[in-house]
Amino acid sequence: MIWNARRGGRRKIAVAAIATGVLLSVAACGGSDAPASGEGLPDEIKLVSVNPTTGVVAFAGASANKGYELAVKEINESDLLGGSKIKLEFKDTKSEPQTAASALTSAITDRDVAAVFGSVSSTEAVAMSPLAQKRGMPIIYTQAGSDGVVVGDYTYRATPLMSSYYPIISRFIKEQGYKSVGVMYTSVTPTLQEIGQKTYPQLAKELGFEITKSIATSATTQDFAAPISQLLASKPDVVATLQVGASNPTVMTQLRQAGYQGKVLGNSGASAGNLKPAGKAGDGMVWPVDFNYQQNAESSQKFVAAYRAEYGEVPLNYAAEAYDAAYFLARSMAAADSTDREAIKDAMKEEAAKTFDGALGKDLKWENGTLQVPGVMVEYTTEGEKLLYEGAGE
Amino acid sequence: MMDFYDSNLVLIQATCTGLILALSIQVPLRMGVFSFAGAGSYGIGAYLAAILVIEQEVSAFVAIGAAMLATAVIGLLLGLLIFKLNGLYLAMATVAFDLIIGVITINGGETTGGSTGLYGVITDFTMGQMFALTVIVLALVALSEVGRTGRRVDAVRDDPELALSMGISLRRYRLTAFVVSGALGGLAGAMNVLVRSAIGPLDIGFGLIVLGLTMIIVGGSRSWKGAVIGAIIFTWLPDILTAIGEWQELVYGIIVALAAVFLPRGIYGVLVDLNKWLRRRRRERRDPPPAVAAEQAGDIDPKPGDVREFALNEETVP
Amino acid sequence: MQDLLSVVTLGSIYLLFALGMSLTWGTIDILNFGHGAIFMFSSFTAYLVLQQTELGLPLIVLLGLVVGALMSLLIQVLAFEQIIKRAKDKRTAEMQILIGGIGVAIIPLAIAQHHTKSNPFGFSSSTFTVDTWTMGDLRITNIAALSIVVALVLWVAAAVWLRRSRQGLALRSIGVDAETAALMGIDRRKMALVTMAVSGGMAGLSGVLFTFGLGAITAESGDTLLVKAFACIILGGVGSMLGVAFGAFFLAAAETVVLTQTSGSWVEAVSFGLIFLVLLFRPSGVFGRADVRRT
Repeated sequence: MIWNARRGGRRKIAVAAIATGVLLSVAACGGSDAPASGEGLPDEIKLVSVNPTTGVVAFAGASANKGYELAVKEINESDLLGGSKIKLEFKDTKSEPQTAASALTSAITDRDVAAVFGSVSSTEAVAMSPLAQKRGMPIIYTQAGSDGVVVGDYTYRATPLMSSYYPIISRFIKEQGYKSVGVMYTSVTPTLQEIGQKTYPQLAKELGFEITKSIATSATTQDFAAPISQLLASKPDVVATLQVGASNPTVMTQLRQAGYQGKVLGNSGASAGNLKPAGKAGDGMVWPVDFNYQQNAESSQKFVAAYRAEYGEVPLNYAAEAYDAAYFLARSMAAADSTDREAIKDAMKEEAAKTFDGALGKDLKWENGTLQVPGVMVEYTTEGEKLLYEGAGE
Repeated sequence: MMDFYDSNLVLIQATCTGLILALSIQVPLRMGVFSFAGAGSYGIGAYLAAILVIEQEVSAFVAIGAAMLATAVIGLLLGLLIFKLNGLYLAMATVAFDLIIGVITINGGETTGGSTGLYGVITDFTMGQMFALTVIVLALVALSEVGRTGRRVDAVRDDPELALSMGISLRRYRLTAFVVSGALGGLAGAMNVLVRSAIGPLDIGFGLIVLGLTMIIVGGSRSWKGAVIGAIIFTWLPDILTAIGEWQELVYGIIVALAAVFLPRGIYGVLVDLNKWLRRRRRERRDPPPAVAAEQAGDIDPKPGDVREFALNEETVP
Repeated sequence: MQDLLSVVTLGSIYLLFALGMSLTWGTIDILNFGHGAIFMFSSFTAYLVLQQTELGLPLIVLLGLVVGALMSLLIQVLAFEQIIKRAKDKRTAEMQILIGGIGVAIIPLAIAQHHTKSNPFGFSSSTFTVDTWTMGDLRITNIAALSIVVALVLWVAAAVWLRRSRQGLALRSIGVDAETAALMGIDRRKMALVTMAVSGGMAGLSGVLFTFGLGAITAESGDTLLVKAFACIILGGVGSMLGVAFGAFFLAAAETVVLTQTSGSWVEAVSFGLIFLVLLFRPSGVFGRADVRRT
């Protein structure tokens, strides 16, 4: 219960409050929101992806949409839904929570919409979740790693929390024989803040290394020279930096300029071409991630091959997550044999109790509405990302 | 109709909160106080209401009332601190105030939920109550624009020396502006968090100031009707522009820039001019004086966009 | 010592950026909210050109300078001049310019965001390589050194231009009393265009140098700097050249201290808090003179 235990009791009250709200609203409107539920699936099933394709998180949203599109195409060609076809609509949130909430509301009102794929952005997801839960709309997110996203039985997240697989970095730290780590993390996103503030100290205790210095940076920090020189002055064996995507090339450039030549422990925000502007300076950054196109699992390789054939490029983790989310929903709808939202919700619950093989790996399971994934460790080089090892092998 | 209402509920709610936010900047502006503190009050109001609901489980009205009271008091204190500043200096001080509120929410730990913010703010707040509050606020603001109060407010703005000589206490008016702005901002923030159920540091940033200001500048800064027009346009425009697809942001920017450049008194100003022009045309047609006969022939036909033509009539605009 | 060097580098970037804004605000009363967009878009244009051909440092810098100046002129002619022509008094004009700048700034931002999908962009394909010079314990990159030199040279040049030249005198007189200046035969329009071009060129220059120094920037980078530049200008006093330099280096020092000595998430509070405090106790800034203060 990572998403709940973290903040203690008050969060539970908040979740309980949402749940109560649901009861009230269901009691009040008597499930009038549900589409006319006949037996069996209709010929056409309407789904909506509410994701940012413009604005600051466009790169993740656009990639996720490719994953959804590919999965829907495959599902429609297969017999999974017994001949029914999915029609997927894309709504752009423009990276704004209000637009996201608004797009979700119109989807909820449209009785033909069976379920929604929610936004990759936490701030948008937090604005959407209470609505979906309250008005009974099955919604599956990818990314969106903050509290308040998975709030009840209508809300699922097909992406593991970073803190759940980040510890696979232990093996790297042990193998390299690091005895001390200097940590610099951003306080902008809850996910990275948690890794910097909680995960690293915990790893330090488990593995017996020392944290020489821990520095938080803020949203407007663009020049990292000063914190980097402070960090290096504490003489750590290795530097760990947890920054949002766009800051990674700057941090790498400035670390190299400051004379640090070793490896850098980072996070998956550096992927998706974000490190490219750093050129050679970006080499040697390593990070754990829930998916890499080189990972071994058969089901992952099947996805990578299909994605390559469709788009002529290798998939990012965002696409893989979306792909699994779409299949999870399709299996649930097939099991429910209905596009009734409540029926889908019940089927999702059953489906989430099983393990499955997907783009993200083998024998994946759900825990409290969030997907669990072993994760892989990659290293960045100018030629491409190198797979170091897989968490599944542990 | 019901379908439209249901599927656009979020936008309808956003119009109400956006309108009140816009008013929280417009009211001081009308008194000649260039203050953006309303945006900061919005943040305080939203967080305060959220905290009260989550931790004390208070009802919606208590949360809103407490938020408004607190932001009004904070507005007064802020006003006492900086009411001597003028123009852009005052604007910058209040922008700084707004941004500091944002930093505090990020660093507030458990109480403000850090960078995640607060969520799960669920109460008995209904749309009916929201509409009622919005209408009451609009009515009060509209009242302050007419009659004696309206004239005094105009005097304080346009000719402070004259106002002083008439025995109007500038200080009192300016402080009132801060208090009203605070309360309105607090109301907008509290209502927003009650309908949206979540609030985070990113929701109360610099963008909020820009949004509020854009609404009143494009809508019209002298009348509550301008704020209404602006709130409607800038809440619904992004949604309508989605149809354009990938270049929507660009079109949005062009529209804001064009409006700022070519409509100095906002859309409301243009409407007023247009109305006045039509009325004059009608009057002239009934009883054309010789000089205007030429105009009717199309010689010096004033275009509705040419606002300079009517700038002198400004003060008669209600 | 290394920290001091970081402060000077950061301060010189702030100075280069804020200098242009201070110039237009202090003389022709234009607080240009599009300044951040000019900064970013000049660098973005250089990035686009670099995708096509290889260029060395001097040409890239020149490119940034020219693009910045042109954009600034365009904004002045198409937006600000129109606003001033239509506005009925100075206060409305000020506000309208503020909004106009915000609106105009969305346009280049949208273009750059669309093209980069908000991924960072940099000049890694340039023929210029960033080297680090070491002197004992001290390290400085050639680009940081260049930024410091350029910032100081331009600052001195701008100060001298304002103080010594006939144009500078004309500009300052506009800043003090626009009507009298016009009566004295000063062509306000021409002076405004020159000032805007200079200011835009500085923004473009700082954009390119900043991108080199940091390795990469994003489409949104300019907006962040905008608020910091306000802080610098207000801190030192609007219209004061000495003031803006003081503001830039003071802000850089204050931020560095907060970032390295405390939990860094309070850093943002420094610039905002400084704006607030200075306005409260010394509204004309540390070096501002009360008599040139415009209300």
